[in-house]
Amino acid sequence: MNYQWAAEHLAFRDEVETFIHEWRTPALLREYRAREGAGGGPLLTEYYAALQQKGWMRMCWPREHGGEGQNPIYRFILVETMEYWGMPYGNLTYTSIAPTLATHGSEEQKQRYLPGIWSGEYTFAIGYSEPNAGTDLASLRTRAEKVSGGWRVQGQKIWTSLAAQSTHIWLAVRTDPDRPKHAGISLMVIETGSEGVTIRPLPTLSGLTTYETFYDNVFVPDENLIGPLHGGWEIIMHALNHERVGLSPTGNLARNYDLLVEHLMKHAAQKLQDPVLRIRLAEMKMEVQRHRALAVCNAVSIARDEMSPGLASMAKVSGSELRYRMTNLAMDLLGRAGALTEAAGELAPGGGRQESTWRASPILRFGGGTNEVQRSIIAARHLGMAR
Amino acid sequence: MELELGETRQLLRAAVRKFLEAECSFERVRECEREGRADLKLWRALCAQGYLATPFPSELGGGDGGIKDAGLLVEEVARRAALLPIVEVLASALTLHHHGAGDDATTLLQQTLSGEALPVPALLEAQDDFDRIELRAPAADGLRGEKFFVDYATAASHHLVTARDSDGELALYVVATDDAALKCEALPNLGRTPQSRVRYDGARARRISGPDGVAFLVQVARALTCAQLLACMDASLSRTVAYTNVRKQFGRPLSTFQAVQHHAADMAMHIESSRFLTYETLDALDRGVASEEQVALTKASLSRALPDVVMTGHQLHGGQGYIEENDLYFFTIRGKDRCLAWGSAEECLGIVARGVEQKARWL
Repeated sequence: MNYQWAAEHLAFRDEVETFIHEWRTPALLREYRAREGAGGGPLLTEYYAALQQKGWMRMCWPREHGGEGQNPIYRFILVETMEYWGMPYGNLTYTSIAPTLATHGSEEQKQRYLPGIWSGEYTFAIGYSEPNAGTDLASLRTRAEKVSGGWRVQGQKIWTSLAAQSTHIWLAVRTDPDRPKHAGISLMVIETGSEGVTIRPLPTLSGLTTYETFYDNVFVPDENLIGPLHGGWEIIMHALNHERVGLSPTGNLARNYDLLVEHLMKHAAQKLQDPVLRIRLAEMKMEVQRHRALAVCNAVSIARDEMSPGLASMAKVSGSELRYRMTNLAMDLLGRAGALTEAAGELAPGGGRQESTWRASPILRFGGGTNEVQRSIIAARHLGMAR
Repeated sequence: MELELGETRQLLRAAVRKFLEAECSFERVRECEREGRADLKLWRALCAQGYLATPFPSELGGGDGGIKDAGLLVEEVARRAALLPIVEVLASALTLHHHGAGDDATTLLQQTLSGEALPVPALLEAQDDFDRIELRAPAADGLRGEKFFVDYATAASHHLVTARDSDGELALYVVATDDAALKCEALPNLGRTPQSRVRYDGARARRISGPDGVAFLVQVARALTCAQLLACMDASLSRTVAYTNVRKQFGRPLSTFQAVQHHAADMAMHIESSRFLTYETLDALDRGVASEEQVALTKASLSRALPDVVMTGHQLHGGQGYIEENDLYFFTIRGKDRCLAWGSAEECLGIVARGVEQKARWL
């Protein structure tokens, strides 16, 4: 029993921080925000190339899939450090699609897609959810019918984030409507520019745009089927598992706290002496530590190669709910200025960070498996409650 | 970072658990509660097994463990709701070991670990504030004044009393409880643990440690109290899960209702974060790097979590958990009392509040 980070883990964090300080420029962050998290801008491309050079993106992958086979705890430290400093470290294309392709793709598919993903040239949007298949994803209805040399896809997806910036769509389709619902799904890659694909923007409360995508008789060649026919559900589950270690990081919550206090120290030194406000801040600090406890427990459990779905769900619920509570309180503490957006300029505390995070917080609670589903997972898998 | 107990500690925990389950029935605990006394017979048996010495070096007859092992012992005792002065004696003994000065301290430590002596801290006064101590160091006519909220004062052989030196510094004095100049008045409390207001009318007192020892005693006792809180929450949850798995309404177990599952999930989240923070803090104390803020933050967190957890346990038990035939109540009342002991959530948040300008830890 030892609650200390090993020297090599702290050294890795320091190395990542040094790299961050070298690259973290307002111009890069601006480009990152403008691209809504997709790769492809000139500065981002250069940055991702440098990140690739470091070998950090794949260091925890198995060697047979082109990684270094390092312990996943390094991934956790990388994610936490990047999150603290608000730096990009790859979207879902890097962190979820690429490792899934490496595991389930054919040799030819790996050659075709992986280099473009590493260079930032390819961005994949994920097409899972449909208007009538959200939490109950397995009831999805977008159909793929077999034709000569490939498939014809007909249907509609929603929340296809990054669709407009993407080069490809990672699509879950029903290939056999007569099988039980989990067993009739397949995974395919569609080039976003294919004939019959329509993209409709859906601006969200966060300021970012998500998309609805329509597939009207879109032809998908045979070689774009990923993994076995009707074997899509396992691949979807596999892709989700890759997100477990850096799920719900503490870094950005701690950063949020630090920036709030920094702002108060600079602009409201007198207010900061108010004992009531200080207790509120102490509570916030306590809550960040409570969340860190769950995030580290989850990471350490994954690093030990244990399957603890309950811990992953706890980290997800805890982090997403704290994000809301924390920014909510921060805005209260800031008063009217707390509601000013970035566009208000200097008067907006921390560039409107609290306001924008508060506004964006709902998606963390309902997205990635709703917190209701997560709580049921905790009850069943962690506590062994009868279902 | 290694959060598993490891083989030695697993064995220790299993042995203590087995011993307590065999020796300490809940009926026996109820009897002690009714009589308002500590279970001294059980205490002697626990000492005779050598468990109390586990956190101490082998030269002292111990198991070369540390404060984390003390935490494990405390957790096991709290899981049984046993009326034993485990936190009080371990915190006293650890203070004697790390900060005790002179032969008196050495002798008292040895006697404590062998079970001959039973020292408990007597720190608080009417203000209920560890810093606001008015008791003066004993003059020629002995120690004169009052201490409040002294846990297990009547079961103890010695009290470790804080008093101010002539230069205003806090120091720790040992007073034997067979001194005729010492009077205890029982303070009935929610936790149903023996607690007293103690009056010292010229008691003989010997100095055994200075301000560092006093500060250490508070930190260690505060952290060990977290282990009590953790065990109370855990016991409440495991009973709740077991009950909802078998109790049927509308033809199905309660645990199959999502509303019930989600309450239990919230309890579990409180407990897992509490477990991590508690042992991380005990580990930091073991390594001598725990700050006052870290200990206070952990205590505040658990003291805030416990009422939510145990009250949810009651909610899911319904009437069954409300009757005292059911063992659930032990963890509710002991737990809430421990929330207030060694610094309430409010008091501990006040300590954290002093350092809000320091950055938040994220790794």
